[in-house]
Amino acid sequence: MTKTVLSVDDSKSIRDMIEFTLQPHGYRVIGACDGAEGLARFQSERVNLVITDLNMPRMNGIEFITALRRSPLGAGVPIIMLTTETKPELKDAGRAAGATGWINKPFDGPMLVAVARKLAG
Amino acid sequence: MTQMNPAVATFVEEARELIEGLEAQLLDLERDANADAVDSVFRVLHTIKGSGAMFGFTELSRFTHHLEEAFDRVREGRARIDQRLIDLALDARDHMKALLDIGEDGDGAASLATGPQGSGLIARLAALVGSSDTPTIAPDAGQGGTTAASAPERLWQITFRPARNALRNGMRPDLLISELRDLGQLLSCRADVRDVPDLDDLDPLASYLGWTVRLVTAEPRATIEAVFIFADDAELAITEVGVEASRVPADITDPAPPAERLTRQADSVGETIRVPASRLDEIVDQLGELVICHARLEGLADRLGNPDLEALSEEMGRLVGSLREATLAIRMLPIETVFGKFRRVVRDLSAELGKEVTLLTQGGETEIDKNVIDRLTEPLVHMIRNAVDHGIEDGDLRRQRGKPVRGTVQLSASQEGGEVLITISDDGGGLDAAAIRAKAIARGLIGEEATPTDHDLYQLIFAPGFSTAANVTKVSGRGVGMDAVKTAIEALRGTVDLSSQPGKGARFTLRLPVSLAIIDGLLVRLGADTFVIPLAAVEECVELDDVERHRASGRTMMQIRETLVPWLDLDQVFARAPSGMARRRLVVVRCDGLQIGLIVDDIVGQHQTVIKTFSAYHRGVEGLSGATILGDGTVALIIDVASLARRAVAEARIIIEAA
Amino acid sequence: MPRTAPKDAIAETQALTLLVFGLAGETFALPVTTIHEVIDPLPVTPVPNAAPHAPGLINVRGIVTPMLDVRLRLRMPPAATAEATRFIVLELLVSGIRSRIAIEADAVREVVEVDPTRLEPVPELGARWPAAFVRGVARHDDMLVVLLDPDTLFAPDADRPAPNA
Repeated sequence: MTKTVLSVDDSKSIRDMIEFTLQPHGYRVIGACDGAEGLARFQSERVNLVITDLNMPRMNGIEFITALRRSPLGAGVPIIMLTTETKPELKDAGRAAGATGWINKPFDGPMLVAVARKLAG
Repeated sequence: MTQMNPAVATFVEEARELIEGLEAQLLDLERDANADAVDSVFRVLHTIKGSGAMFGFTELSRFTHHLEEAFDRVREGRARIDQRLIDLALDARDHMKALLDIGEDGDGAASLATGPQGSGLIARLAALVGSSDTPTIAPDAGQGGTTAASAPERLWQITFRPARNALRNGMRPDLLISELRDLGQLLSCRADVRDVPDLDDLDPLASYLGWTVRLVTAEPRATIEAVFIFADDAELAITEVGVEASRVPADITDPAPPAERLTRQADSVGETIRVPASRLDEIVDQLGELVICHARLEGLADRLGNPDLEALSEEMGRLVGSLREATLAIRMLPIETVFGKFRRVVRDLSAELGKEVTLLTQGGETEIDKNVIDRLTEPLVHMIRNAVDHGIEDGDLRRQRGKPVRGTVQLSASQEGGEVLITISDDGGGLDAAAIRAKAIARGLIGEEATPTDHDLYQLIFAPGFSTAANVTKVSGRGVGMDAVKTAIEALRGTVDLSSQPGKGARFTLRLPVSLAIIDGLLVRLGADTFVIPLAAVEECVELDDVERHRASGRTMMQIRETLVPWLDLDQVFARAPSGMARRRLVVVRCDGLQIGLIVDDIVGQHQTVIKTFSAYHRGVEGLSGATILGDGTVALIIDVASLARRAVAEARIIIEAA
Repeated sequence: MPRTAPKDAIAETQALTLLVFGLAGETFALPVTTIHEVIDPLPVTPVPNAAPHAPGLINVRGIVTPMLDVRLRLRMPPAATAEATRFIVLELLVSGIRSRIAIEADAVREVVEVDPTRLEPVPELGARWPAAFVRGVARHDDMLVVLLDPDTLFAPDADRPAPNA
């Protein structure tokens, strides 16, 4: 069954990069520009993995993760934070909000695929 | 994989836009350093740094890091926004642009990055906000050490108990175990169920289990650890039990399913598509052909008088009309996209001239065709430079005149009917009518005895080769005079007007069509020929009998209800023999805030008009701005309301003055 | 002053292919490389206030095309449209922009090849056309063919009256 990955990032090039990386491996990637849109997309689709940026206008990554976890279908869905931020406190904040894991930009393709497999199957 | 990735082009475009926008953001920050503005600058830098590194723009990423760090410090209250930081940030932003322009990593980028410019900026940033270290881009998470093929296989015991909230937070222990299996041979996997509570107390989303796995693999410890990268709050123990003596065949099948290409999902929510502007131009051209083609169909339907065909043609007309609206809307951009550029111009120029000048902008959301914007930027920059250079007085003089030392240049845009109105005003000294007069006489533009009004004198600065500055400064004396500005505006079928009050300032008013390609036109007849008047300019059409012509008090005025309106007979304007028609019509148009009446033989109807600009043979012909093709294939001329208005006003004035 | 040599552009060895047409009893030619098509006369929309040598516009298959009055430039009297009248549509660079223009010919005769080296300067006595508009004269079947220079003949402002300043 095709797994759906929701990529939440205000940068289209990052969303594209994720799509171009994961699509050949059988993932369907849908995108959202910020947390608010991400939440809307999450609620309207069956999403197997969420990859989100932290720095975004209109509902940042932490707020998005918190809201997603509280939403009806939000428990148990793997959420990866993808960001250039390297501060431990941010990482902890993400964890506390319910993020599954953390990837730093820049990331490379095989690594992203490995992460998707690890979390979405 | 980066070099083949189509996302690189997207990145470059995106980064270019971000860097363009950064300029305006920094200037905003200079005016009002609020936390949101700092955040948004930080976010932009952050994105460029992160994406840059991924798309092969390492030098850009590396350089951006320093600026990002500076703003991070500002964000955390460890550094302050001040003039010096903004100056430096603007320079750094220019350098980022250069790094982006030079392209992906290579000799060019490297030498630009290591050049004095880049390192100088980094040093200045460090000195200012104390950032210093090299980028701390974290090592790749999950990137397991690569396998040495000859490594011996070893037996590992892995004990793993996820945190209680791990399942809720998306961990999948089953996948982790199968990942371990992919590393070698899983000898055993036992679940530890001790912590599972009674059913009544069981939270289905909580994690109660632990696992003990025995694995034979040649992979190093780091690879096994990497499996658990996202489980750092779990209990985890990885112990080497010993080197397995007998060689166990490892599962070497590629865990990845066959790569299948899925058709790209077209995302509808909030997605944007980038297309080259030329492709939009093509669509507009084709649309133009479609409009003309429909006009032919309409003509045919009229002639044949077949009601079905007429209905069809009418419906098609509606469809073409809405397609036209939608298509032209695609090319509309808020004029704000160029306002940012102007703020930089004012800022740099005022620094260069040692004047304090603020640029106020207003109506940036006003939308205008991209083609118009592109061709408008240059003239606007020129006018703004003029305002700062020649308009705003220097501080001492302003003080003497009782004005605030800091001068103001105001740029505002608004939409009025089918036109966009742009004004550039300053609170400087205004134009010097006497100096203009003297220069105009010296240049032979007017005779020594001529006594034009001040308003007319001001317009002379648009004459070729005219320059108002007594001594040409290095700032504005660049060979592009106001005549070039006027020519550029008129090429856009726009008009430019200038008013000035001595000691108080000058104001340029530009009127431009919203779109260049297709307009709604009013078809009018003169004798056997059809002309088009842009509908946006038309206020009303009246029977000529209903208006009173005031021949006595200035022959060219007529009274429409309470208003006296100057009028022109188009037969005279176009040197045509009068048709002799008894009942003629008056089309009242508005231009530059003035009403004028145009006398025609008859009104034919409305027409979606595809504007064909004049060739070099007819450009600048008085009273006409272009041509179009009618439904029957004949060429009709489009009336240039602005130039007629000027003429009507001039004639009315001459006659009034003579009277 | 009479022209002593044909223009450099013609000093090439390949044959020059020309479209030959009649105008006011004379025989003229233009290089076929500049010709887009020859069409039957179309209704002309006069452009008021335009320069006299560019009096109107025609619609050539959806392209608004300026109609130029070559007679005027060559100082010939105007003539009425006749049975054999054709419009010649040219495509050439006008002020650096590839443009279509049209001219009227009393009749379009033929396409001929001439040897550019045998192009003669305009005879002194025959020079009643402004020399700038003529590249040279070629003899073809005992006929004198006047080769016009499209670059100068169709220049937008060659004899435009100066704007009244």
